[in-house]
Amino acid sequence: MRKWLFFIPLVAFLGLAVFLFSGLFSDPHLHENVKVEQAMPAFALADLENPAKTVTEKDLLGQPYLLNVWGVWCPTCNAELGFLTSLRAQGVKIVGLYYNQPTDSAFGEQFDLPTLQRDVARKLAEQGNPYQLNILDKDRSLIFDLGVTGAPETFVVDAQGKIRYHMVGDINPNNWPQLEAVYQQLVKESHAGVTP
Amino acid sequence: MKSLHTSGLLVALLLWCSNVVALEDELTFASKDQEALYRQLTAELRCPKCQNQNIADSHAVVAVDMRKKTYQLVQQGKTHDDVVTYMKQRYGDFVYYQPPLRASTIWLWLLPALLVVGLGVVGWRRARSSQTTGPNAAVTTQQTADAELQALIDAATRGKSRD
Repeated sequence: MRKWLFFIPLVAFLGLAVFLFSGLFSDPHLHENVKVEQAMPAFALADLENPAKTVTEKDLLGQPYLLNVWGVWCPTCNAELGFLTSLRAQGVKIVGLYYNQPTDSAFGEQFDLPTLQRDVARKLAEQGNPYQLNILDKDRSLIFDLGVTGAPETFVVDAQGKIRYHMVGDINPNNWPQLEAVYQQLVKESHAGVTP
Repeated sequence: MKSLHTSGLLVALLLWCSNVVALEDELTFASKDQEALYRQLTAELRCPKCQNQNIADSHAVVAVDMRKKTYQLVQQGKTHDDVVTYMKQRYGDFVYYQPPLRASTIWLWLLPALLVVGLGVVGWRRARSSQTTGPNAAVTTQQTADAELQALIDAATRGKSRD
C-alpha cells in the first residue's frame, strides 16, 4: 500500500470543510439574474401617476437609468426612498417599476387604482420621490419577464435599453459606490456614443 | 349540551377550512393529461424566492404567479420542456430541480462516479495484496527461505568436503 493513499481521507475532509465553510458566507437568496446583458423585455404598461399614458421600453431609451422595483407594502423599499431621492438630486435617472401585490378576491380585496395612487403619493411625499416616472405593473407581467423574485430589486439599463447590472435588496450609502461605478460607466458610454 | 355545541361549531369550522383550501385548486383542464402535466410541473419547478420549496407548495407571490403562468402555458398546449424553458429564460436554471449538464456542473455526475471507481480500485488492490502477503504467502516465503538456506549449507558442506 502506497503512503499517499493515507492522505486521501485528510484531503477529502479538508475539501469538504472548505466547501461548507464558504457556504456559511453565501446568501441563499442571491441568484444570478439571467436578464443581465440582455435587452429590456418589451412591455406596454400604464404610467402610475398618469394611467392614460402607456409606457414602453422604447420610451426609456437614450439615457442610462436605474429601474427600481418597489411597492408601498415593502418596508425595505420605503427605507431606500430617501437615499434614492438624494441620488436623483445628483442627476441619476431612476424609473420606478411598481410591484403590485396580488389581491385576493376570496377576502373581498380588489384592485383600486385611485387608492393605490393616493397611497403612493402619500408615501413619496413623506419619504421623498426619487422617480422620474412610475410604471404600474398591475399583473406583474414585466416583473415576471425580468425574473424579479421580490422587492426591492434594481436593474441598471444602458442608453440602448440593454440591462447591464442587477442587484437584490436596498441601495444604501454602503453599496452605492459599486453601483455608481457601473452607472457612471454607462453615462460615459452614452456620451461617447459607444454601442456595445 | 354546551360541549356538544362547541364541538358542533368546531366541526363546522373545520369543514369550512377544508373548503377554503380546496378553493385554490379549482382549476379546470381540457384533459386529464393536461392536469397531470400541470401537477408534474408545479412539483418540479422550484420557487426562486423560497428555500427549497416547489411552486406547488409555496405561497410566495412569485410562486403564485409561476403557477398561474404554468396553468396558462399548459392550457395553450405547451409541452413539459416548453414550460421549463420559458421559466428558465426568466428565473434561470435555479428554477428547475434537475440541473443542466454543463462544464460547471459536470462534477455533479463525475465526482460520485470517480469516487466509486476510486474506492473500487483501492478495494481491488487491497484484496490482491492481501492475497500475496496473506498466510499462504508467508508459507511460500518460509519455503523459499528454507530452500535458500539449504542451498547455502549444501554449498558450504560441498566446499568443506572438497578440502
